[in-house]
Amino acid sequence: MIRDITIGQYYAQDSSIHKLDSRTKLMGVLIYIVALFLVKNPWWYLLLFVVILALYRLAKVPYGYLLRGLKGIVILLIFTFVFRLISTPGIPVAQLWIFTITGEGITKAISLTVRIALMIIGASLLSYTSTPRELADGLEKAFGFLEKIHVPIHDMAVIVMIAFRFIPILIEETNVLMDAQASRGVEFEKCSVWKKCRNIFSLLLPLFLSAVRRSSDLAMAMEARGYSGEGETSRMYPLRYHSGDRIAYVLMFLFLAGVIVMRVVNIY
Amino acid sequence: MIDIKNLVHRYTIWESDTKKSKKTVLDDVTLDISPGQLVAILGPNGSGKSTLAKHLNVLLLPDEGTVWIDGKDTKDAKALWDIRSTVGMVFQNPDNQIVGTSVEEDVAFGPENKNLPSTLIQEKVADSLRAVGLLHKRKSSPFRLSGGQKQRVAIAGALAGTPRCIVLDEPTAMLDPAARKEVIHVIHKLNKEAGITIVLITHHTDEVVGADKIILMNQGHIIQEGTPKEVFDNFELLKKVKMDVPQVTELAWNLARQGIPIKTPVLTEEQFVTEMMRIYEDGKNREDC
Repeated sequence: MIRDITIGQYYAQDSSIHKLDSRTKLMGVLIYIVALFLVKNPWWYLLLFVVILALYRLAKVPYGYLLRGLKGIVILLIFTFVFRLISTPGIPVAQLWIFTITGEGITKAISLTVRIALMIIGASLLSYTSTPRELADGLEKAFGFLEKIHVPIHDMAVIVMIAFRFIPILIEETNVLMDAQASRGVEFEKCSVWKKCRNIFSLLLPLFLSAVRRSSDLAMAMEARGYSGEGETSRMYPLRYHSGDRIAYVLMFLFLAGVIVMRVVNIY
Repeated sequence: MIDIKNLVHRYTIWESDTKKSKKTVLDDVTLDISPGQLVAILGPNGSGKSTLAKHLNVLLLPDEGTVWIDGKDTKDAKALWDIRSTVGMVFQNPDNQIVGTSVEEDVAFGPENKNLPSTLIQEKVADSLRAVGLLHKRKSSPFRLSGGQKQRVAIAGALAGTPRCIVLDEPTAMLDPAARKEVIHVIHKLNKEAGITIVLITHHTDEVVGADKIILMNQGHIIQEGTPKEVFDNFELLKKVKMDVPQVTELAWNLARQGIPIKTPVLTEEQFVTEMMRIYEDGKNREDC
């Protein structure tokens, strides 16, 4: 399960989506999510799905990656589906023990599950097509105005970037720790959920200690390379809007306008 | 370049919950390193060599004595960033010193902190990566590199700050033999081609045979200082501080002790072969007479 994390997994490709400014892509994801919440008729999800498929195609990211992001939240999706299915009032269509499944329940369950799934798929595309650094820079610029009210956005961007950098290292370390403890007889795979939780705790302590040691090393390395946490810093690739971004913004707002019009006019 | 006079450094250690005491890790160290030299600091664990390295980059300040980098006293707070851009630093664990999520991002970290213009940063990054032979990996994630490559990225990161001196604190301690060679090769190249002063801290004696000067440390003291020939000639001292000596050096030394007319110290395998050939030829000539 730990090995399935897709956050911060950049898929290097030379595509028009990859070339977009990360701020544009952030806005795109936001608009896509808003659109998902505006939609009423479940059939519209099909259209939104086709849109995201087309974007994956445009970004030259293989469709296999589409499902990878969902792997981590598969339990959430199942829970959502089941609870919506049995807890929506309406015309009953089937009776299972004490649970009543209604027609409305089926529609609701499907649309809610699909909505969450599409949200994840959309957000995954953002992380596949922008490096963590671009994302951090994009967030820093997009929320830069908050620095004025003393929210340390720049520090946060550095923290986000380092967190991304250490995700694979800590995952690897967890695997080593799990192997080391399994070799001394700790059961991780075939045991009760309760036991699993307890065993996870025995991993957390060494993992935490090593993270502290790593951060102290990293702090020293950063300081040696001139990081002071204050003062102006520059960027190797400063974020800059290009013609592609303008086109993308126009398309995105047209799309949003279209969805809003649909919603207001209420035509299916 | 680097001038150290009577440097003393003490760490505070807690003997028990209430009692603390000072432990002297560097005791009266005096040292002079001239520009362009490749100096190796050799010593067993706990000899104070890493502490010494941290003084060179103002990560630590002297308790007594003075450290001058390029004539600037490290105690002078105003000179701090100047000194740090004069002296680059590479640490032991490559994973814990790479900041960026891609190779070029990491190399750019130093110049970005100096607020240089983007085009200049791109130039510096490309130059540094070319110097360590990793330009083709610039877009890769550091996670996908081998240990030797990661350490070379770290060297490029230090190099991008255009330092005149690079201090490497046991850069090969976590690497396999092939990767160690790779890193040592890059270090020598930087010293020869770019004329960068190198301070290489290590406990592998085979890495220091190419150095201009070796400083042998033990328990916070410099116990010997000299060319590799001079240091390795004092074989017994090296053994006394429990340093491993290159295999050929030890072999030649033992042969010499057995009465074979081999000239010690022998530092490299090639040198050993020539020495042996010479002895063989001499022996043949004597038989012919």
